[in-house]
Amino acid sequence: MKQRSAPTQRPDPASSGAFQALAAAQRLAKTGLCGLLTLLTVRTALRLGFAATLAIAAGRLVMGEAVDPWLTAPVIVLLAAACLAGFAADRVQASAETAVSTGLRNLAGDRLNEMPARQLQSLSVGSVIVSMQRHPEAIAALVVGHRAATAMMAAGPLLAAIVLCFVSWQAALLVVGLTPVMILFFALVGNAIRRRADAQERAFGRLAGQFADRIRTLPTIVANHATLDEEAKLARRLDAYAGKTIGLLRIAFVNAGIIDFFASLSIALLAVFLGLGHLKLVTIPGFSNLELWQSLFILMIAPEYFSPFRRFSEQYHAKAEGLAAVTALDRMLDAEPAAARTLPVLDRLRLVLPGHGLVAVVGPSGSGKSTLLRRLAGIEPGGMPCAHGHADTEIAWISTDSYVPEGTLAQAIAWRAGAIDEDRLEDAARAIGLLDDALLPGGLEARLDKGGANLSGGQRLRIAVARAALAGRTVLADEPTAKLDRGTAEAVRRTLVTISRSRLVVVATHDRDLAAAAELTVDLTNSDAIEAAA
Amino acid sequence: MSTAVQSSSSRLWRLATGFAFAALSCAILLGGVSAWLLGSVAIAGLSAAAFTFNFHIPAALIRLFAIGRTAARYGERLTGHKAALADQVAHRVELFAAMAAAPAVRSAGWQLGDDARLADYLDDVEDIDYARLRAGLPALTLACGLSILIAGSAVLAPLSFLPIILLLLAILFAGNRVAKAGAVAWERARSLRREGAGRLGAAMASAVPLKAEGAWSRECAEALAALSRADGELLALRRLQARLDLIGAAFGPVAGISVMAAAWHAGRQGSELLLPMLLAFSWLALGEAMNGVSRILVAVLRHNAARTAIGQWMQAAAPGRRGSVQGGVQPRLLRHGALQRRAPDGRAIGTPISLLLAQDQPTVLVGASGSGKTSLLKQVAGWIGDDALAAGDRIVSASERRALCALVLHDAVILEDTVRANLFACDVPDAELWRALEAVEMGGRIRDAGGLDAWIRQDRFSLGEVQRINLARAWLSGRPLVLLDEPTEHLDDAQGERILERLLARLSDRIVVISSHHAPPHRDARTIGL
Repeated sequence: MKQRSAPTQRPDPASSGAFQALAAAQRLAKTGLCGLLTLLTVRTALRLGFAATLAIAAGRLVMGEAVDPWLTAPVIVLLAAACLAGFAADRVQASAETAVSTGLRNLAGDRLNEMPARQLQSLSVGSVIVSMQRHPEAIAALVVGHRAATAMMAAGPLLAAIVLCFVSWQAALLVVGLTPVMILFFALVGNAIRRRADAQERAFGRLAGQFADRIRTLPTIVANHATLDEEAKLARRLDAYAGKTIGLLRIAFVNAGIIDFFASLSIALLAVFLGLGHLKLVTIPGFSNLELWQSLFILMIAPEYFSPFRRFSEQYHAKAEGLAAVTALDRMLDAEPAAARTLPVLDRLRLVLPGHGLVAVVGPSGSGKSTLLRRLAGIEPGGMPCAHGHADTEIAWISTDSYVPEGTLAQAIAWRAGAIDEDRLEDAARAIGLLDDALLPGGLEARLDKGGANLSGGQRLRIAVARAALAGRTVLADEPTAKLDRGTAEAVRRTLVTISRSRLVVVATHDRDLAAAAELTVDLTNSDAIEAAA
Repeated sequence: MSTAVQSSSSRLWRLATGFAFAALSCAILLGGVSAWLLGSVAIAGLSAAAFTFNFHIPAALIRLFAIGRTAARYGERLTGHKAALADQVAHRVELFAAMAAAPAVRSAGWQLGDDARLADYLDDVEDIDYARLRAGLPALTLACGLSILIAGSAVLAPLSFLPIILLLLAILFAGNRVAKAGAVAWERARSLRREGAGRLGAAMASAVPLKAEGAWSRECAEALAALSRADGELLALRRLQARLDLIGAAFGPVAGISVMAAAWHAGRQGSELLLPMLLAFSWLALGEAMNGVSRILVAVLRHNAARTAIGQWMQAAAPGRRGSVQGGVQPRLLRHGALQRRAPDGRAIGTPISLLLAQDQPTVLVGASGSGKTSLLKQVAGWIGDDALAAGDRIVSASERRALCALVLHDAVILEDTVRANLFACDVPDAELWRALEAVEMGGRIRDAGGLDAWIRQDRFSLGEVQRINLARAWLSGRPLVLLDEPTEHLDDAQGERILERLLARLSDRIVVISSHHAPPHRDARTIGL
């Protein structure tokens, strides 16, 4: 039962209050992101410090110079501090992402609360669950992890280049000079990947979800004896798709390869230049007449310069998934409500409902019976057809999609009804035939699965009737006797009539017997609604 | 997995492992040899040895390592993914066949028909598919790199052995904790996610009643709270990971420092320190590969959890699953004197009924919603229970009936494929397919969609259209036993009657059973009230 909301004109965000998941997530991420960036910068600085002290110690040691003991202490301290800063950064990132995903989920939940019931009903249940479960997490990774990696791509190399300048500005110039070349390659490869990916999507996009689709449709395949055919076809298609995917990866991995190449190349170039400088055979400005520790230092810093680029490229998936999640969440929460059919009858209808008694709403399918009930409950936009509103009164709603909590039958009947003694519970259940139901053995202790998965619509409806009988609320019942066998339908009628002696019961029904028992009948057949006392 | 696929995939894995070793070795040697070269030339530069120093060989080696690292990494990534994808294809095809044989497919309400459950299932499948690439391969190369460097350290600077082993023990200890506590946290996160998804699904299914009763926001908030608690469990897992990564990040540098310190303590000086320096910088390079070591463990624990979850689907799958019992029987009559009706979970329903299904007239099962019509149809189809029905003088077992019947489920779906594939009649001529589509009044709709070879998806069709395609499948089926579950559901009365009339005329030489929640649509039908 998939119902895709039609692509609607995106309304002006300012006026209609669009959800804007990305902006909301960015707001939620602000403080965590600041902390994370600070820690990452501190970590980079400490690592550079560690590299410097280690290079000095190692260089002096090899050159047979005296190494002060005070020099070894900072090596250890800086290393420990850098590791701790990294540890803290990991933790802060994890906490910040969790905070964003939880916060975003709550915002989305608020949005669902504001949504009219019928619009909520029109959303596909599966996609709402997927959105609520996964999308906040994906968006959090985008606005925290990916954002931090992007920012560090500027800060990390900059710090490394500055530190290099202290030793040899020419070496700094060399690595900085390599960067635009690298970025140029990036852009070229990135374009090639995009072109290839688009072409593949056009040609083979259909094959992408074949495994998932065949698992989804498995009972249909089994029922049609197509298992072997589908297995062979699946093997062919998965194989073809894997082949195309490899073709795409062949280019995509060039991206990572470029970073590897430049990082390796910079080390190799620097090592050779610095080595020649030490031999004093050639004089290269900035690479000659250096101490060993200085050249070791340059050698250690160069990879640090490139590592933020590598981290960023590893975040490619986080970006793609996060953006897809943003789009999906916005589309779901900003979908325009399905245009309700105009029902002039209801707009003209003026009802005076009694304090108690049975009121039947009758009329052909589509005449607005259910809509009238929803308006009475105050969950449908449109005029309240009743002089004194019923929206603020407590309502018990009876229908085949009534809510059933997981647990026993007794718990389902007593749901939201406070403490009810066993006898009343049993009477209510028996009156509606729930205790001698062959399909629900176990009496009041009968086990109900989550979401009432093991119940039929009729059983759910009867649980709602029993619940309504026990709670002192106004009852609204939508087709309470349809799809029931004769005996059960009679029990439902009896119970509704009993309730109506002390409370107001409004039923929307096709059932003549039920309508005949009503004290007041609202017929929506004609545009001028007729009220008739029974 | 066929042997050809298996051998090509293991060849790929061997290649990927080779590349991974080459990449790690090049990375380690690039760091080590560069540092050694600088040290050597710095010492040589102090004396006349500068003129005789063979600079070219180490410089060439360094360039070789730099290029080799880049190339081997690329090769490792590509062949690793190639191998994983080859395994994935084989694994998924195998999984499809195993799932098709699982009894869960035939019981009520296919859980993986739901987007959310399907997404979780696919995550599990992927965790299994990529475990070797994410955990096995890096763990193997890392272990080899570690043992070589540890051996080198033990020889060159024996004293450094102590801190290295201590730190390694700390890593193993923390890793063990991540593996154990992490698995618990991951399992808890999974169950909280399931709980939250289940609650949210239940609330969504009852959106109107809950909103009317003012109970929606509480139910929704509780469902979302469960999902957020699952995020909390994942946070706990990530914190465990951070602790392990802290030690992992310190390992390389500490090992390098230890080697230098131990060598110096052993009294080595000047050029004697060059080899220890090579080793120390190798440790630094290996340290880079140790970053994010916790991801390996997480991939393992996710793989284990996924295997358990997917294994549950296969439980009790019949061993002889490929047994296609398409026997030569064409029963004209099926009967059972006292058939005990059963719910999908095997529970007995009501008192036994007498069943007589014959070719000459269709049988209609009439009953209110929830009276067990679909379950009885599935029992007849051999999908539920293990009843034997009599066909004249022979017995037709449940598995034989499974092969004999066309079961037209009321919740049948559209495959993402061509119209032709969706009709499940590959050897039937086009004209016959069109006749079937016309009979269910879908001819025009399919022509508009682009004909028999048009690619279709479930969400492009209304429920009534899906139902009609489903009935076209029944029309085209050659099986002697045709079971129609609520065939006119989602169709308007007149259209439903027209289509059913045509279908029954076509199936007049088969045993037909129809379930319906209202009075029999067919005058000359045998009716069984449930």
